[in-house]
Amino acid sequence: MLASIGWFHFSLPDFQYAFLSILLEGMPFLLGGAILSGILEEFLPQSLMTRLLPRNPRMAVIASGFLGLIFPVCECGIVPVVRRLMRKGLPVSCGVTYMLSAPIVNPLVILSTLAAFRGQAAIEMTCLRFLLGLSVAILAGWVVTYFSPASILRNELIQEQGEDHEHGDPSRSMLDRLQNAAEVAIRDFLDVSVYFVIGAGAAACFTTAVNQEIILPLASSPVLSIASLMGLASVLSVCSTTDAFIAATLTTFPMAAKLAFLVFGPMLDFKLLFLYGAAFSKRFIISLAIGLFFVIGILCWRLGTLNLGW
Amino acid sequence: MTASFRTLRDFVLLLLWGTFVLWMDLSKQLSTYLHPSLQPYTVGAGVLLIILAIFSLRSLLKGTGAPHECCHHDHSCSEHDHPHSHHEHHDNCAHDDHESHHGHDHSASEKHEHDDHHGEHDHEKEHHHHHGEATGGFSLLFKTLVLLLPLAGVVLGQSNHYTMSTIANRGVVQDLSKLPSAKGAPLTAVPSASPESATSSNSPSDEGTSASGAGAMPIQVIDMLYAVQMPTYREEFDGKQVELVGQFVPLTTGNPKGDRFQAIRLFITCCAADAKPVGVTIQYDKPLKVSEMGWVKVTGTPTFPMEGGRRTAVLVANKVEECAAPDEPFVY
Repeated sequence: MLASIGWFHFSLPDFQYAFLSILLEGMPFLLGGAILSGILEEFLPQSLMTRLLPRNPRMAVIASGFLGLIFPVCECGIVPVVRRLMRKGLPVSCGVTYMLSAPIVNPLVILSTLAAFRGQAAIEMTCLRFLLGLSVAILAGWVVTYFSPASILRNELIQEQGEDHEHGDPSRSMLDRLQNAAEVAIRDFLDVSVYFVIGAGAAACFTTAVNQEIILPLASSPVLSIASLMGLASVLSVCSTTDAFIAATLTTFPMAAKLAFLVFGPMLDFKLLFLYGAAFSKRFIISLAIGLFFVIGILCWRLGTLNLGW
Repeated sequence: MTASFRTLRDFVLLLLWGTFVLWMDLSKQLSTYLHPSLQPYTVGAGVLLIILAIFSLRSLLKGTGAPHECCHHDHSCSEHDHPHSHHEHHDNCAHDDHESHHGHDHSASEKHEHDDHHGEHDHEKEHHHHHGEATGGFSLLFKTLVLLLPLAGVVLGQSNHYTMSTIANRGVVQDLSKLPSAKGAPLTAVPSASPESATSSNSPSDEGTSASGAGAMPIQVIDMLYAVQMPTYREEFDGKQVELVGQFVPLTTGNPKGDRFQAIRLFITCCAADAKPVGVTIQYDKPLKVSEMGWVKVTGTPTFPMEGGRRTAVLVANKVEECAAPDEPFVY
């Protein structure tokens, strides 16, 4: 209807339609994350978290990688939760690891990956996705321990880190405590939603306006297929609980490329690029994006050359 | 004053969003956006949004807008003893003083930070009313506008279907192996008898196709694609008249005589944003005037010729007529 240059054809009604459907799909999970964040703020004693995590910073990062198994949150909901946990004193490195791993190290995601790849090396795919996601998230957390939180977090979060005032005063009435939790949830939800709306807009534009056939010729090259599927994962911005169903249909692509799609997408898709802005500095997000792209790309490429029989 | 204004804004936004989501559900529009399994979450979120709106109304009436952020931000200038945030505290103090022309006399990197996050100084706003009203107000306004964007469609007119533009960009799938969840499922499905077949959720009788069919068997687009893969299923169609409902999409390749078009349905994994067009080729030699993406009911004989080295599904039609969109617009 409007611009048309071969691979790009933008239609406003289509954009609007995809935009709203992404919002309606992701919003419940974002809201769920924000409500969890409000409950954590009001009811989780700050000391509990520091007591539970190992003292050694590296061990603490490893432990955070598995938090997703206990608190399964998908990638839309994780940002408000991590933001709140870091305000409550969770070390930034652990926060980054939990944020990156939770959408993959997650019981629901494991099951959906198994189901989606039925008949195409489901067990190998699921295990590799889990292990690769976990180790990349831990690696990112370790790298973060070498930097000061000041260079990683957004300004307002730095002041607040660890400045919890024990709102959880049990002497107040339950209704007052719920009121507090609700106020935190509202603030978090609306803060993060701004980024979510912008991210959904970017994703909707790409999924409707870009001709998806342009990536097909790339399928035959081991390196380009991995890079292009990571790009596609970002563009589609599908929730990590369902992305495996999409990946399984990209039959012309090698398994290594599908693995890259499944690991990179939940860590860094288009809407997340904006959502992370609610907690992290722009410089950190850009470094993270570049780092993840290369680390995941190279690991998948190496796995692809190993001839694992998939 | 500003704090309660903000709480009022929160209340209005939550109420609008919640009402919008519930209205989408009650007016049956949600099903044109989301997979059925995801709709309950969205409806639940709509209810929660209304509940949160009530909480924000309560804090508005009590005049305690956002008490938490108060204690966090009050010391942003006085507290310089935090282990690793010296520099940043300083930044923020300087920043408060210069809010109206933010970034002016900061170093390059600081300026970068501030510019990136301009529009985010609302926290300061609540507690430093005396400076920077303009920037804080702008930030709040900007965020509020962004959050109202999703509702713009209600006022400006909303689209709840795709045009040819997106269909062309996505390409029509005619090979079932390129369709999510199609794997495994058809192998266990016994043609036309099994309720487990992928068409069960969209049984043709739901769509009113069976009523008019004078002897024609109502089928789905996807049934013919299964038949392409399974010889036993193909036999079911031998010599039978079928009718199917789909959206009209012109066929640009493999259409030398110009007597072919495609009838497509949209296959959804979780929401309309991931819709994949699936279609069968229809051969119809009479002139046809249907708009692109218009719904058509096609009656004819299914054939499964080998074309270009692979088996395809072509429905040789003897009647094509425009029809109303089915209640269930998608296949899952």
